[in-house]
Amino acid sequence: MTVTDPLGTTAPAPPATPTGSPTPVLVALKLSLLRNGLRQSSGRRAAYVTSIVFTLLFAALQLLGLIMLRGHDHAAALVTVLTALLALGWAVAPLFFPGGDETLDPTRLVMLPLRPRPLVGALLVSSLVGIGPLFTLTLAAGSAVALAHGAAAAVAGVAAVALDLLVCVALARAVATANIRLLTSRKGRDLALLSGLFVAIGLQFVNLGWQRLSGENGLAVLEPAADVLRWVPPAAAVDAVQGVSEGAYGAAAAQFALTAVTLVLLLWWWQRGLTQLMTAPDASTLQADAPGRASGGRDTGGPLGRLLPAGRTGVVLLQTFRYAVRNPKSKASWVTSLAVGLLVPVVTSLQGAGSIYSACWAPGLLGMVMFNQFGQDSSAFWMVSQTISSRRDAYLELKGRAMAIGLVALPYVTLAVGIAAAVMNRWDAAAETLGLGLALVGALVAAGAVASAQFPYSIPQDSGYKNVAPGQAGLAWISIFGGMIVGAALTAPVLGMTIWLHLSGAHELLWLVLPVGAVYGLLIAEAGLRLGAPRTLARLPEILAAVSKG
Amino acid sequence: MTWEDGVNPVPEEVTRQRQSGAAAVRVSGLWKRYGEQIAVHGIDLELPAGQFIGLVGPNGAGKTTTLSMITGLLRPDSGTVEVAGHDVWRDPAEVKARIGVLPEGLRLFERLSGRELLAYTGRLRGLPGEEVDKRATQLLDVLDLAGAQNKLVIDYSTGMRKKIGLAAALLHNPEVLFLDEPFEGVDPVSAQTIRGVLERYTRSGATVVFSSHVMELVESLCDWVAVMATGRIRAHGPLAEVRGDAPSLQNAFLELVGAQQRGAGQDLDWLGGGAR
Repeated sequence: MTVTDPLGTTAPAPPATPTGSPTPVLVALKLSLLRNGLRQSSGRRAAYVTSIVFTLLFAALQLLGLIMLRGHDHAAALVTVLTALLALGWAVAPLFFPGGDETLDPTRLVMLPLRPRPLVGALLVSSLVGIGPLFTLTLAAGSAVALAHGAAAAVAGVAAVALDLLVCVALARAVATANIRLLTSRKGRDLALLSGLFVAIGLQFVNLGWQRLSGENGLAVLEPAADVLRWVPPAAAVDAVQGVSEGAYGAAAAQFALTAVTLVLLLWWWQRGLTQLMTAPDASTLQADAPGRASGGRDTGGPLGRLLPAGRTGVVLLQTFRYAVRNPKSKASWVTSLAVGLLVPVVTSLQGAGSIYSACWAPGLLGMVMFNQFGQDSSAFWMVSQTISSRRDAYLELKGRAMAIGLVALPYVTLAVGIAAAVMNRWDAAAETLGLGLALVGALVAAGAVASAQFPYSIPQDSGYKNVAPGQAGLAWISIFGGMIVGAALTAPVLGMTIWLHLSGAHELLWLVLPVGAVYGLLIAEAGLRLGAPRTLARLPEILAAVSKG
Repeated sequence: MTWEDGVNPVPEEVTRQRQSGAAAVRVSGLWKRYGEQIAVHGIDLELPAGQFIGLVGPNGAGKTTTLSMITGLLRPDSGTVEVAGHDVWRDPAEVKARIGVLPEGLRLFERLSGRELLAYTGRLRGLPGEEVDKRATQLLDVLDLAGAQNKLVIDYSTGMRKKIGLAAALLHNPEVLFLDEPFEGVDPVSAQTIRGVLERYTRSGATVVFSSHVMELVESLCDWVAVMATGRIRAHGPLAEVRGDAPSLQNAFLELVGAQQRGAGQDLDWLGGGAR
């Protein structure tokens, strides 16, 4: 393209046809994006530098650890499993962190005259720039060092490192491209919002796994898994290094071939996805002529709707359940509470330090869902506000929301206590624990009803990590921590009774905690709703303003 | 279509008010400050019942703040608001049953389908289930949303969202309907549908108050206008009165807010044809 003639008095140059490879341009683009991302704010720069430092530290430690494992009996099994896990991470990362890499979205390149094959090559090379590939490189290199004995194995190690890295990156890109429709649609964004949850629960499993492995002879546990994974690329290439070291050249060659074929297949899949993506209409065009259903029909809320109580309470109850299923933020809050509440007693007991009372995490976390109820409605709360015109309306509104929690709490807390009792073989203490749990749910619902009216705050709907709008963090802390303390204090009578029965040796009467706790929970929740209702009514505009900031 | 007997019978009270020239909305001494900035500067206003009323003004004039305070969504710093003879802040139950609101920004329960949103709103307002279903079906039909009734609101286009918001606001057959920028970002077909429904609704004796900065629209729809600028009411009354001798409401409005057309001749003279 000529640039010496800015006024354009000569005829325009013929359109530039891409003759050279676009690789250097895309790599430069990736580097510019990284650099400009850092320029945006000093906070972001600090976060980025911190994450690099931590990743590098972790990678270095890992490298060191793997080198120290050199010659260990189970080294091959460990690196095989680690490589497979890392590849799994590469496969799912684009689904949960779609905003992570700007060059990842090939639809931005759609207007450029690029052919698929050079484009795939260029994207693959530019994808190798970044922290993730660096981390993968250190792991792969460490694995090779841990396994390679002899010159032939060293050569195999270099090949394995390259193959491992390329397969991981190609896998991530191919998955991302195949799912780009999903990633740029509402469903994809909803999925991304749940990523924090998967990370949290995944960490629990990593924690459990670590406990197992760090025990005596723990690495032997990996052998059966490794026997399978050593034939799954890219772990196959890494395991092949071990094969070469031991002289099993045939098997090693097969493993290398398997990995290479996988790489080619991934690249082919990726290129096909790219071509399709750049030539087919996007989701917004398809959506426009979605078929509509015939008019008529009614909304009874399905089979559940018919069972619910009539009037406002039932309507609100149904709405709460619908939002728990459909709204990613509400869903994340419910699922976190339910999953973590069940996991904690199981994890603590597997670690050998469990008490059956750890089952009270379940009612504790579930009760916290009652906090900031109106924040979950976000700015749509005006629709609720417009229909609350008396203390009774406000009471029924809160009651519907509390009942949704109560309806889940009863079977769920029973299940949690049952699981804890079964895992720890403490069926003798199940009744008192259940009684305490029900009292705790009631107390937290009561505190949550008042806190929802008194300390409402916005929940940003578009970010997976922010649960508080800027400037309202203090409010959220007051609401949550104050609520937890008040909730715990409100449970004190039932707790006191349990302790007293234990201390006075009246163990045969401990079952009484169950009915007392259940009734106390109901009464205290009712009191909380009655206290929260007039506050809600009086503060409607203030609540609306507070929850509309997200 | 049985709109008249099904959804919108003429309320006797409204007819009476209209005949006697009573005010649908009475605002006095309304103030709202945000820190240093005064958003609404002591407004006194009476909006006549049974009319199509336009609240016009440039962006940032305080239209949304005023409508929010009138509908009970925002607490004023001082002043009183009466709707259909009831004080908005002392007697919210009476007022909320009589008004319908379509606020700015289309804030709805996005994760409900159109029909579920109507069912939810109607039942929260205490209407019997059967009646809600009947009205919802008719509103969805009239507003051309029947085909999308089972889609989630989050997947609706702007025009569809305005229409479903309007349906939710009309469901309980309010006496006074408040709409904040109801035609903003709406395609011409949906705009015509909304317009048709609103005209039918006012013909039955109800009052519509809507805000807009599009003068042509206000001029073609409204019987009565109030002009707002920088938090104050600059003029109000029947359309012809406010327009006065000016050729259009647009000109009258520019005169009122003191934004006379600046000469565009001397600047940007290189723009357009001729020498490059």
